[in-house]
Amino acid sequence: MPFRESHIRSALAVLCLLLSLQGWAEVAVVVSRDTPVDNMPTSQLQNIFLGRTSYLPGKLRAVPLDQTEGNEVRDAFYRDLLGQSPAQVKAHWSKILFTGRGRPPRQVAGDEEVKRLIADTPGMIGYIDAASLDGSVKALELTP
Amino acid sequence: MPPDQPLEPTGSQPRHGIQRLAEPHVLFPALALIITLLLWGGAYSLVEVERNNADASARTLTRDLTETYEAQVVRVLRDIRRDFQVMQFTSELHGSDATLAVLEDRGLLPPGFLFTVSILGPSGELLASTRPDPSAIDYRTRLPGALHSDELQVAHSVPDPQTGEWELTFAQRLDAADGNFAGVAVITVDAAFLVAAYETAKMGEQGSMGLVGTDGKIRVRRTGNQVDAGEEINYQRLVPDPNIVDTNVRLAVSPIDGIERYIGARQLYDFPLVVFVTLSRAEQLAPTEARVNTYLWRTAAANALVLLIVALLWRMSHKLAVSRRHELQARISHARQIEYLAYHDGLTGLPNRSLFSKLLGQSIAQAHRHHRQLAVLFLDLDHFKQINDTLGHDAGDQLLCEVATRLKGCLRESDTVARLGGDEFIVVMPEVSDAKYTRTVARKIISAVASPYILAGEAFRVTASIGIATYPEDGLDEQTLTKNADTAMYKAKEEGKNNFQLYSDKLRSESLDRLNLESSLRHALELDQFELYYQAKRDVNTGEVTGMEALLRWRHPDLGLIAPMRFMAIAEETGLIIPIGKWVLESVCRQSAQWREQGISRVGVSVNLSGRQFFDPALPGDLTRILQQTGVDAASLELEINEAILMRDPPRSLTALTALKDVGVKIAIDNFGVGYSSLALLRQLPLDAIKIDRSFMRDLSDAAGHKPLAEAIVAMGHTLGLTVVAQGVESEEQVVFLRDHDCNEVQGFYFNNPIPAEEVAAMLKGLATGQH
Repeated sequence: MPFRESHIRSALAVLCLLLSLQGWAEVAVVVSRDTPVDNMPTSQLQNIFLGRTSYLPGKLRAVPLDQTEGNEVRDAFYRDLLGQSPAQVKAHWSKILFTGRGRPPRQVAGDEEVKRLIADTPGMIGYIDAASLDGSVKALELTP
Repeated sequence: MPPDQPLEPTGSQPRHGIQRLAEPHVLFPALALIITLLLWGGAYSLVEVERNNADASARTLTRDLTETYEAQVVRVLRDIRRDFQVMQFTSELHGSDATLAVLEDRGLLPPGFLFTVSILGPSGELLASTRPDPSAIDYRTRLPGALHSDELQVAHSVPDPQTGEWELTFAQRLDAADGNFAGVAVITVDAAFLVAAYETAKMGEQGSMGLVGTDGKIRVRRTGNQVDAGEEINYQRLVPDPNIVDTNVRLAVSPIDGIERYIGARQLYDFPLVVFVTLSRAEQLAPTEARVNTYLWRTAAANALVLLIVALLWRMSHKLAVSRRHELQARISHARQIEYLAYHDGLTGLPNRSLFSKLLGQSIAQAHRHHRQLAVLFLDLDHFKQINDTLGHDAGDQLLCEVATRLKGCLRESDTVARLGGDEFIVVMPEVSDAKYTRTVARKIISAVASPYILAGEAFRVTASIGIATYPEDGLDEQTLTKNADTAMYKAKEEGKNNFQLYSDKLRSESLDRLNLESSLRHALELDQFELYYQAKRDVNTGEVTGMEALLRWRHPDLGLIAPMRFMAIAEETGLIIPIGKWVLESVCRQSAQWREQGISRVGVSVNLSGRQFFDPALPGDLTRILQQTGVDAASLELEINEAILMRDPPRSLTALTALKDVGVKIAIDNFGVGYSSLALLRQLPLDAIKIDRSFMRDLSDAAGHKPLAEAIVAMGHTLGLTVVAQGVESEEQVVFLRDHDCNEVQGFYFNNPIPAEEVAAMLKGLATGQH
């Protein structure tokens, strides 16, 4: 069936193009290179970024680093990895902050700033567009 | 009783009330009412307790939430004030233009996703801002006070021009190092942040929390997930007393959305704001109301069940009462039926013998009390047996029923007809004015019974015989009246049937002789019921007692003293005269011997012989033996024989007299003059005396023609050499006549009545002393 095979390939190609146009960025979770962690469960990532825990695997102090709002990578990170809309995240941190049970992560603008801060701070954890990955930081493998 | 005096309750009324309570139609409704009241009373108080508890806990919750919220808001506002202080400090060091950059670099700005920070110049121009769109806003229009005001300013909430979300603006004057006005620091905060403490779990969808300025303008208000701002409310009403320490919770209807709420509010210290928390009453009390609903449903169900049970019990009790009543009625009717059967004839339905006897007894008592007469009619059908035999019992029964109906038709309401059994009926007429009426009724009955009957398709005639007895003439008691009516009925049968007879004296004496005397006479000797009376004979000239005639009397236990003429015929017929006569002879001789021994009298005694006795061949022998046994001289015993007996069979009489004469006793002819004695025979007979019949004495007084006859008899006796005795002498005139005509002796009531043996001695002594 060579005719059909070629059709399927074309369809997949069109789909990939559409996804990239919609800004479906691939998000990478990053830590400093000397952080002794290579992977972590997605649930722990969620807990760290929603303020429920402040530790990385191996009892290392975790310092989450957020990006500023209106950022595609940020929206993708919360939507894909934390399952939260921007409004939900805002409401979540509003409540924690208002009731005095914690402070939201520091926000910085852009992948480069994230990489700059993380590279020098062991335990700091953030996220960037996968395309921005370079040797300055280490991407963590997320396990289910 | 005076009208103003209250009527006293009678003693029986309270008891009556209690008794009424025990009646089912009062008891069961009362029970149902009481149980229902208890159930609903209990449910109501439980509901009250639940609601009060819910109200109290809602108020407590409102107060707690209000106070917590106050603390949180105060902390946030102090953070903002601290931010302003940091900005003042930084602007003094680095100038107001560089402040934001320095702070951002140091991470000292409040979180950007909720807060924006701006710096305005002294004239209000924007110098720096963290806003993404700083040019879109002119803060000079937002701020309520002057730019150089020393106070912390809290602007009215406005929507973010980009996102449309409410934001709240705070502003604080910045001073230069020399103290001059350097500009204004502005911090905006997402209004939703200030109500982030809202928890749907605790406050529901209709609770609310928020901030109000002391100007009455709502800065932010959240209800459920809805955030609003800008409404005006009455600050005075919300916080009546700002200085109060405790949070006052009140219940009021919200002017904004019309929902009734618990409202807690507190004026903040040091800030021109009021915090408030409200809880919807309906929401807070919903679980309680649901429970209350459950209670009420359960109560209703329990009540329905109880009512059902009570109703069932009532019904059962009613059924029981009804069945008891039926049972009682059945028992009563059964008893009545039994009583009816006991007192009524099964065939005709007429009263039976028992009832009749009772009714007659009552009627007699009434007649006695009112001195009235009553009549008893005893009715027997003639030849009923023949009808029964030829037509069968069914026809006979039919006939009896028809007769019963006709009898009733002949009588008055007050009369009673009863069936005694068989073809015997009896009627009692309790009010009878005279015998004529009774006869009329009897005739009416006879003609009614005599009308033809249709039995088994054929016409028959039946007649009736009726006997009538009347109270009080024919009997004083029920048994006598019935028996006498029966006797009269037999008389009617004898008279040819189909007629009625009245019970009379004649019937009475006849029946007495027939029924009573014969049987009791048989036992009279054994029972020693005979007695002897003695009547003296006297010499007509001297008045001396010449002899005593023994007279037999029967002392009957019921009838009293009976003279021989009433029972002598029966004694003769039955042959009882022989032993009786023997007893008389023995008794007289023994008495005579006794008198002699006592020296009272030496007079002779005389005894009457009956015909049968006289002709008894054993008499002379018996007589001899008796005389020997008693030691009485034969010459002092005189035997009197009725003239009629002697003349019945003269040759036999001669033989018998001769045999007696041989014994040595004297012989007298009794009742002489009424028989047909031939003088020839008289001459042959060995006689001693004649006793002239009493009928001659009676005739002496009235008809002159009788006197010569008496004279002739006396003369004839003398001619024959006999003693002449006159019987039945009752007057002086008779005595004079007899004395004039040489009659020897006299006997009668004029001189002496018959007297018992024991009185004889006294009588003789009286004569001897000349008392007579």
